[in-house]
Amino acid sequence: MEELKKGGIFTISDMQNVRINIGEIVEEEEEWEPMGPHPMPRIATLRDWDFKLLNRYKPFYAPVCDMCCLCTYGKCDLTGNKKGACGIRMDAQQARIVLLACLVGCSAHCGHGRHLLHDMINKFGRDVPIDFGPKVDIEAPLTRLVCGIKPKTIGDYDRVFSYVEEQIVQLADALHTGQEGSYMDFESKALHMGMLDSLNKEAADIIQIACYGMPSGFPGDGPDVPFVDVGIGTIDTNKAVIIVIGHNVPPSADIGVFLTENDLEDKVELGGICCTSIDTTRVYKKAKIVSALGRQLRVLRAGIADVVVIDEQCIRADVLELCQRTQSPMIATNDKAMHGLVDRTDDDPDKIVDDLVSGRVPGVIILEPDQVGEVAVRTALQMDKKRRSLKFILSDDEFKYYVNDCILCGGCTLACPNGLRIGEANKSAVAGNIKPLADLFDICVGCGRCEQVCKKHIPIVDVMTKAAYPQLKEEKGRMRIGRGPIWDSEIREVGAPLVLGTIPGIIAPIGCGNYPNGTKDAWLIVKEFAERNYIVTLTGCMAIDCALWKDEEGKTIYEAHHGRFDAGGVLNIGSCVSNAHIHDAAIKVASIFAGRPLRGNYEEIADYILSRVGACGVAWGAMSQKAASIATGFNRLGVPAVVGPHGTKYRRAFMSRPDIKEDWKLIDATDGSEVYVEPGPQDLLVACETVEEALPMMAKLCIRPSDTDRGRSIKLTHYIDLSQKYLSTYPPDWHLFVRTASDLPIATRNELLKKLEDEQDWKIDWKKKKIEEGPIRGYNPSFNPTNLERLIRRKK
Amino acid sequence: MGIEIPFDVATIAGPEAGDVAPPEVIGSYISSASRPLLAVGSEMLRDDFFVEIAIEIGKKGIPIAATGHSMKGFVEKGYTENVYYYNLHELTNCLRDPNWKGLDGAGNYDFVIFYGIIYYYASQMLSCLKNFATDPLMRTVSIDRYYHPNARMSFTNIMTRMEEEYKDMLRKLVESIKG
Repeated sequence: MEELKKGGIFTISDMQNVRINIGEIVEEEEEWEPMGPHPMPRIATLRDWDFKLLNRYKPFYAPVCDMCCLCTYGKCDLTGNKKGACGIRMDAQQARIVLLACLVGCSAHCGHGRHLLHDMINKFGRDVPIDFGPKVDIEAPLTRLVCGIKPKTIGDYDRVFSYVEEQIVQLADALHTGQEGSYMDFESKALHMGMLDSLNKEAADIIQIACYGMPSGFPGDGPDVPFVDVGIGTIDTNKAVIIVIGHNVPPSADIGVFLTENDLEDKVELGGICCTSIDTTRVYKKAKIVSALGRQLRVLRAGIADVVVIDEQCIRADVLELCQRTQSPMIATNDKAMHGLVDRTDDDPDKIVDDLVSGRVPGVIILEPDQVGEVAVRTALQMDKKRRSLKFILSDDEFKYYVNDCILCGGCTLACPNGLRIGEANKSAVAGNIKPLADLFDICVGCGRCEQVCKKHIPIVDVMTKAAYPQLKEEKGRMRIGRGPIWDSEIREVGAPLVLGTIPGIIAPIGCGNYPNGTKDAWLIVKEFAERNYIVTLTGCMAIDCALWKDEEGKTIYEAHHGRFDAGGVLNIGSCVSNAHIHDAAIKVASIFAGRPLRGNYEEIADYILSRVGACGVAWGAMSQKAASIATGFNRLGVPAVVGPHGTKYRRAFMSRPDIKEDWKLIDATDGSEVYVEPGPQDLLVACETVEEALPMMAKLCIRPSDTDRGRSIKLTHYIDLSQKYLSTYPPDWHLFVRTASDLPIATRNELLKKLEDEQDWKIDWKKKKIEEGPIRGYNPSFNPTNLERLIRRKK
Repeated sequence: MGIEIPFDVATIAGPEAGDVAPPEVIGSYISSASRPLLAVGSEMLRDDFFVEIAIEIGKKGIPIAATGHSMKGFVEKGYTENVYYYNLHELTNCLRDPNWKGLDGAGNYDFVIFYGIIYYYASQMLSCLKNFATDPLMRTVSIDRYYHPNARMSFTNIMTRMEEEYKDMLRKLVESIKG
């Protein structure tokens, strides 16, 4: 027998054309931790946990559409929770649509991760080690937790993706007509999908960190990562400009390599939109972040790109049309977004460049990432010369003509997702005041629906851009590049203060830019919590948008705050897939600080996080299906999330009822006694109308039953203070969170005790400054909260 | 008469769409409620006039749920007697439950007036009540400057240039609510 070849293939001597394939060789795994109860959970494995959540945080539905159009029995009118022809009720149908959204989101991250793994194995082999340096021992908390696998090389992620893919298919199957009929079970499945999605994200980011040497746990990484320029104004248009859009970094990384190897770094600007831009700066230090998703249309219309390179996700469906409008050749690099172009992978680069530069083709597909760099750079250099004289910003005369042409019909307002009163701003511009139009630029989400209904065919997006152009040229922010994992050493430092409550919480602004009132709200959220010593961890478009604003000293929020995972830190974790490291931080608190076993032990860790880790996500501009699955994944792990008002269009929320006492019964794991507790966290998914309302809400959602009295007093201070600052009132429910007088902030203790006495009829012993009667429960420093009976140590 | 277009044109939910009605009709409809509630949002703060209107309605004995950050407007005017801060999402979650005790502990409401709330947020909450607060039926109206198909009655879409006419409509509405 000849030697064993890679992949389990060997040949037998003297027997030609005989090959035996023994499939995967499973090596004996190092014993690193006993396996927990739920490795690689299937649909029903964690259903009991889901139902515990769903019984407290009962699904709330607000349909966007009252009908079901999914099969030919229909359309069915489900208004008023009627049943359709198949027997499904409106509530279950809404839950089904939520599962569908989570399926799409989860598939996007899984597809992205799998695609990345293929490309990386192709380029570097399966054996790239997962070694994140001396600061990160628990390299893949979610992988360990969900799969029970401790990955050593990127090849180990084959098993992880196979597991996720199988589960996705089973969950998608449940969407078919005549399958699931219970909204609760649809939601359990959505939570399962959300958990899988978090696993996908971790897998994808670990693979790219390992292969590209992105920041992780080595000296110079973590809190010490370098800064990068952000904003349209940072792009030097005197150079050739390549704009990359999407989420999958290998093609952009290849552009960086080509620029470096050919000494072209000072001749070509590489800028990006959305998460690809964040990840590109993690591999190519001269890259810049042009904008988040919300400005994609306007950046493309501004015509600054000599070449546009797209990969996957969050790319406008009309991107090719936009590129043609500004004579910017487009290169599609991913089979999920090919836009009708011709696949030129493996063609002679000279011919491809010539076809693009001559304009014979508007764009090409190149599916091999390592072929993208040369074509993109050479094309950009030639197009730069060709396009230099072209102008895409409206002239003063054109601007004047268009604003004068507006007939104030209001069609644009009815088409606008934010209902912007564009006609009124045009009217002001006619009168010589362009500020209202310029102000709309930031509030506009950049969809372009207004232009399609304009009876006068006014290019409204261009008109708005022209009005805002003087500010836009100066839009120059700074942010730290995505740091990836939180260090184990940082968790050791903050684990206790987080669980005890003396660091009041982790605030995680994540996701898209579909804001109700512009990017400044993203900045305000970060600023308010960082200044109050919360830890603020950002990913994706919110991480970009908050870097566009500066304080009185001219500093961006990243420049004004340190980047450590510690009180007052403002951390750019990275792209969408990097937000798995925020899950990971909470998981590591349970593992490193509390010593809870991780391996295949999802339920126990989620139970721990729900009751003890004061973390709250905020997806203020959540737009995509990925955002739906991301939030749902956070929710299953016990982390609540706040969304902006557009988030109600996801149809489903998870809110509790503090007035229903039975919903708030926990178990003290120390002796098995049942304890009625305060509603912390009150909701798992809730929308706020304005950022002013969201700020105190987030502070409230960081309150946990495990808080010490000192921790609770700090959290209450912020909750009350933010309510007074932004709502001009005490929160109506602050008393629910008071267990003892020492839960009250010292500075205002007497005043608050008086309010409790006067407004809530609580009995106060004023001599001892003690609460005698009133709270839901007293403070018990050894309270060991759990929702799981199996964790009771000793029954009373 | 043509079909009214929702303020956000694509907000066409299905076969059941609310009526456009003049202020007197909506006022009369509100007057027929036994336990009405006024849910106010942050758009009310764009002009003092709109805060005054909410207060006028409150003075007719209709309790006010101040959602978003609209509470600021009531505090600034010194009117907080029957005004309660509540998050609109959480409020709607309670409203769909017939057993909810209400803001004053006296039970759930049978009628909700939406006012000063961002269009699409209000639309979604109205959708929840339309579809799930059906037994007993909870009636809803919007008195914003938008046509809301998910409310049983609302005004028509009112462009900014018609602001004075809208203010007149609100005045007439307040007059027609029987205290």
